[in-house]
Amino acid sequence: MADLSKLMPGETVLLQGNEALARGALEAGVAFCAAYPGNPSSEILESLADSAAGAGIYAEWSVNEKVALESAAAAAYTGLRAMASMKQNGVNVAQDFICNLTISGSGPGGLVLITCDDPSGISSTNEQDARFIARLADLPLLEPATPAEAMAMIKFAFELSEEIQNLVVLRSLSRLSHTRAGIVPGPLPQTRPKPYWDPKVNHATMPVVPLHAKMHEKLARAGRLMAAAGFNSYEGPQKPELLIIASGSSVLYAAEALQLLKAEDKAGILKLGATWPLPEELILDHLAKCGRVLFAEEVDPFLENEIKALYAQNAGRLGAKAFFGKATGHLAAIGENTPGRLAAAMARILGLEWRTVDEAYAKRSAELLAKLVPPREFGFCPGCPHRASYWAIKQTLAVDGRQGLVSGDIGCYTLGVLPTGFRRVNSVHCMGSGLGISNGLGQLGRFGFDQPVVSVVGDSTFYHSALPALVNARWNQSDYVLCVLDNSATAMTGFQPHPGTGRTATGQPGKQVAVESVCQALGLPYAIVDPYDLAATQEALYDALQQGGGVRVLIFRRLCALVQGRQGGHPYRMRVDAEACRGENCGCNRFCSRVFRCPGLTFDQAGGAAVIDEVTCVGCGVCAQICPAGAILAEPRKEAAA
Amino acid sequence: MANHVAAEATPPAACLNQLKKQVLDAGLCVACGACVGLCPHIIFYDGRVAAPDDCGLSQGRCLDLCPQAPEPAQESKRRALHAQAGQTPAPPLGPHAGIWQARAASPDLAGRAQYGGVASALLALALEEGLIGEAVVTRGGQRGAPQGALVRDRAGVLAAAGSIYAAGGSLLALNQALAQETGPKLGLVGLPCQVLAAAAMKAHPSYPAAARRLGLVIGLFCTWNLPARGLRALLAAEGLQGPVKKYDIPPPPAQVFLVETEKETREIPLAKVREHTLAGCALCPDLTAELADVSIGAAEGRPGWNTLIARSAQGESLVKSALERGLLILETPPAESLDHLRAAAAAKRARAAQAWKER
Amino acid sequence: MNPAAKLYAEPLDIIITGVGGQGNVLASQVLGRALLKLGYGVTVGETFGLSQRGGAVMSMVRVVSQGVMGPLVPENRATAILSLEPLEALRVLGAYGHPQVVVLTNDRPLMPVNVIAGANRYPDMADLQAVLAELSSRLYWLPATDVALELGNPILANVVMLGALAASGLLPLGLPELEAALAEMFPPAKMEANRQALARGAALLA
Ligand SMILES: Cc1cc2nc3c(=O)[nH]c(=O)nc-3n(C[C@H](O)[C@H](O)[C@H](O)COP(=O)(O)OP(=O)(O)OC[C@H]3O[C@@H](n4cnc5c(N)ncnc54)[C@H](O)[C@@H]3O)c2cc1C
Ligand code: SF4
Ligand code: SF4
Ligand code: SF4
Ligand code: SF4
Repeated sequence: MADLSKLMPGETVLLQGNEALARGALEAGVAFCAAYPGNPSSEILESLADSAAGAGIYAEWSVNEKVALESAAAAAYTGLRAMASMKQNGVNVAQDFICNLTISGSGPGGLVLITCDDPSGISSTNEQDARFIARLADLPLLEPATPAEAMAMIKFAFELSEEIQNLVVLRSLSRLSHTRAGIVPGPLPQTRPKPYWDPKVNHATMPVVPLHAKMHEKLARAGRLMAAAGFNSYEGPQKPELLIIASGSSVLYAAEALQLLKAEDKAGILKLGATWPLPEELILDHLAKCGRVLFAEEVDPFLENEIKALYAQNAGRLGAKAFFGKATGHLAAIGENTPGRLAAAMARILGLEWRTVDEAYAKRSAELLAKLVPPREFGFCPGCPHRASYWAIKQTLAVDGRQGLVSGDIGCYTLGVLPTGFRRVNSVHCMGSGLGISNGLGQLGRFGFDQPVVSVVGDSTFYHSALPALVNARWNQSDYVLCVLDNSATAMTGFQPHPGTGRTATGQPGKQVAVESVCQALGLPYAIVDPYDLAATQEALYDALQQGGGVRVLIFRRLCALVQGRQGGHPYRMRVDAEACRGENCGCNRFCSRVFRCPGLTFDQAGGAAVIDEVTCVGCGVCAQICPAGAILAEPRKEAAA
Repeated sequence: MANHVAAEATPPAACLNQLKKQVLDAGLCVACGACVGLCPHIIFYDGRVAAPDDCGLSQGRCLDLCPQAPEPAQESKRRALHAQAGQTPAPPLGPHAGIWQARAASPDLAGRAQYGGVASALLALALEEGLIGEAVVTRGGQRGAPQGALVRDRAGVLAAAGSIYAAGGSLLALNQALAQETGPKLGLVGLPCQVLAAAAMKAHPSYPAAARRLGLVIGLFCTWNLPARGLRALLAAEGLQGPVKKYDIPPPPAQVFLVETEKETREIPLAKVREHTLAGCALCPDLTAELADVSIGAAEGRPGWNTLIARSAQGESLVKSALERGLLILETPPAESLDHLRAAAAAKRARAAQAWKER
Repeated sequence: MNPAAKLYAEPLDIIITGVGGQGNVLASQVLGRALLKLGYGVTVGETFGLSQRGGAVMSMVRVVSQGVMGPLVPENRATAILSLEPLEALRVLGAYGHPQVVVLTNDRPLMPVNVIAGANRYPDMADLQAVLAELSSRLYWLPATDVALELGNPILANVVMLGALAASGLLPLGLPELEAALAEMFPPAKMEANRQALARGAALLA
């Protein structure tokens, strides 16, 4: 990412939505930024960290989202503007704090939470809609439609938060966070208040009931301020045949859909950017003018349900209305919106003709695609230590023979559920939950459960939320083997540092918290293995499995292959001895390219032998260990660091 | 993520699939090792055989070599293999040119060997005479579990003397040695299941190295065996620690399993041991390794002596040579003990036949 | 500032596709920056997903004379598809193609692991080329990786393809504008190779 503090005010630049949010926060005078990495939100803090020195702010990768928001709240209590950014799942992690923070209030400094939701789960384990938090905790909610609006909204968010002294939520979407558009930066502030917390002032949740009442008042006041902020607007005929109420990227999709249908004179779009509390007056106004309403939002029918409830209160005055959206099936209840999906819904309601493309073409292309196009499976990178780790786990559980289970967690290694991880993962949920699942399984021996349990967790996830479950397992003597796949990086989301790496978000040295030091402190038996050494890893895991008793920890330590690639590369130049290779014959049948499946290995059908794809292979040397014929040769590469 | 996952191609009716279905998953594997080491798909570790992945082939060797594979039926497979060796099955003891009670003359075998040391003596002689250049034996390995080893001289043979009552997958070592298409003739000391597998290897059209190189097969008598981890669990349950010097099953009516460590000798009732035995052994009909060149077991009521059966011409001439060199002492077995051996062999065969029927 | 030249299409929707690691996002940024400089309204939508992990990646470059577009090209409405891998061109055609679409594709296949593993088949190259031609109005089947390899680095294929795109008549700009945008993103030492890649790419269409 780039130092955003260096952008020239007034000069148009191509900025990503996340960068626009970061720049907007800088222009708003944010002082304290904390986050936990997670697509599609990561670039916000990344660019703030890269701008930290230039802008004189503090930016931190926190150990998890809850800690990030708590730290930001602390800064806000002292009068500094502060924010925390996260992906939709992170809001769940922070939720407990949020629901209490909203009672205590946020203090004199503006406090903003950015959640980047991921409709269609493009890079997530779910497509949860995080807007629930606004309704749950009575917080103002802003939903920008474009990068430029995101930048304007975040500035407003800080002001609003200071005005009502409560947290303000800004909801981005992956399509917005990862969209680049021309942005005109404004000036950066020159001054900043000196942080101070008057000891006579408390930020606590007691007395609950009066503070709860105050929380409602704050939201009502926020609603008035938001209505005047200019983020809600209507475009279309005075008396449309169809009113489309849209938020987020769907505003743009709806506009484009109307163009495609050439129905701009029939329908109008009520764009809502300040969505919670509902801008009731505005909405009622427009409902009065139109008998048919379509809701365009992602993912949950949030506006749809709330506006229908608002209508119910006013039905007598408004008369009968027809509402369309997810509830009626005009729009899908799952997955992201697209211009085409919206056009189809509008056409259906308005009785118009709609086809994205000539029918013959659509039929022919669908036919050819089905016939010719294979899927492109995700896989671990060439040289990825996780492939080696899952290999060892697969082989060891097989010889162990007691139908062992693997409980997975969140990170690159989640791909263990796919063929690239030999489908060796039996469960995956949220950050850290793998250890909780293992903890439960590890207590079932008393009921006759005799399958051994392996828990895999990445290093970053280990610090994020595995620690409490691990302490619990130690305390209650749960019986399982924990494999910490320590690749010294938060690789899934772009190699952010974490406590185990010892570096901080801004690249400064911090104090390293090594996985083994945690094990030592908890009194857990542990060993460190190198997953690249398949035989040694299998042996260590086998022994750990046979031991039984409480939790045993194996630290599978090997640097992420991509990071290794940037740090001088891997040590070997690989080659296949085609004479020795057994190819497709009994005795092998393409064990390397068919079963081990590193993309660096291909197969030459004509020659009947495996081939190393020199462009793809990084030279980790692991595949040489699995070849039954010793046909894969690893020769030291002179230039490389070992 | 779902649209980025390829549909799995339906696996063909591969031989490994059949091996998994008929033997491994059916719990019939006796860890002889015949299928291990031929390819990377079948692995052996700490006494257990596993096949984590599909091999994707429909014409391979593993199923054909497996002594426990129900198809083709055990008995017809044995008959065919006997026929190939120019012999008739001759139940209950199998084809034989001579039966003796025997022991090795050499004193260096007395302390180490299981009984009379005949197995070791004959193997060492075969190596010395150049009848074979290398041999696969079974000896203690990691975690006390037995494993195959390739030996080239008398010292190697002596290091493997004594019986470990656990399955060691030792034919893995034979397959590894046979990965060299050419080389010296190979010898093998093995249990009846391993002897059957070795005969199948020699006869297999896709295993020319076995036909070419497998020279001498010395069979051991066997009634049942333990899985390596079962043996370890048994010892642990008995509180026995430290390396085991000797295991023995004294002939009836003793009904015990003897375990001798540095510190003590413990008698474990056979009933306890049977809880741990390999399920597959119940389907094995062969007490005396009928497809071997020579077969060796205990001599009833005569500690320090073996029962020795010479079967093939090669086996017979090896025994003769040993006798001429004064390496073996041979005696004619009492008729009564021969009757008992025949009865025991017939009983094992009947038990196995019944067990097959019940499956 | 208002753009000088009229666009080939309004909006001009170019989908850049390929496999993670081929530099597709970079290509879309270069194009976006160059067009923005000329005063067009530019929106670049990027789909990362698990792009590092060998999956298909797609960026959408949307250009209008004025205003803002949504991040998604409507279904079956792409003006052109620029593909760094031929199979991916066909995949994208299914969702965004129509009889008038223009396709420029690198001819070098990148086998999915599932194909290498034997679980699926990669189409015959001649079939693939014929089908791409059938489903488009113009197909440029280009040896971009071969050219990049001649220049010493296969990763340059994305810049070669950009050079070809500039020569296709679809863009309101030429090589100098692309070069200027590249120069904002690369150190001077790497610019010579990029310049050559652009020129060689354009020459492929000559
Ligand atoms: C599991 C097992 C069960 C047996 N059951 C009977 C039985 O029921 N009745 C009977 O009369 N005899 C049985 N024997 C044979 C007996 O124990 C002696 O091995 C045999 O009498 C030869 O004695 P020896 O003194 O000549 O052996 P030695 O000269 O001591 O030679 C022993 C040979 O046995 C081999 N060996 C040791 N352990 C194993 C193993 N686990 N698998 C394969 N080979 C091994 C060694 O490689 C060595 O070459 C059994 C042996 C084993 C291993
Ligand atoms: S595993 Fe070895 S023998 Fe088998 S195909 Fe690969 S290189 Fe050849
Ligand atoms: S050495 Fe083998 S396992 Fe490692 S990257 Fe190359 S092909 Fe893959
Ligand atoms: S009995 Fe022998 S050949 Fe059969 S599966 Fe077991 S180890 Fe393999
Ligand atoms: S009883 Fe048969 S199957 Fe079992 S170990 Fe002995 S010879 Fe092998």
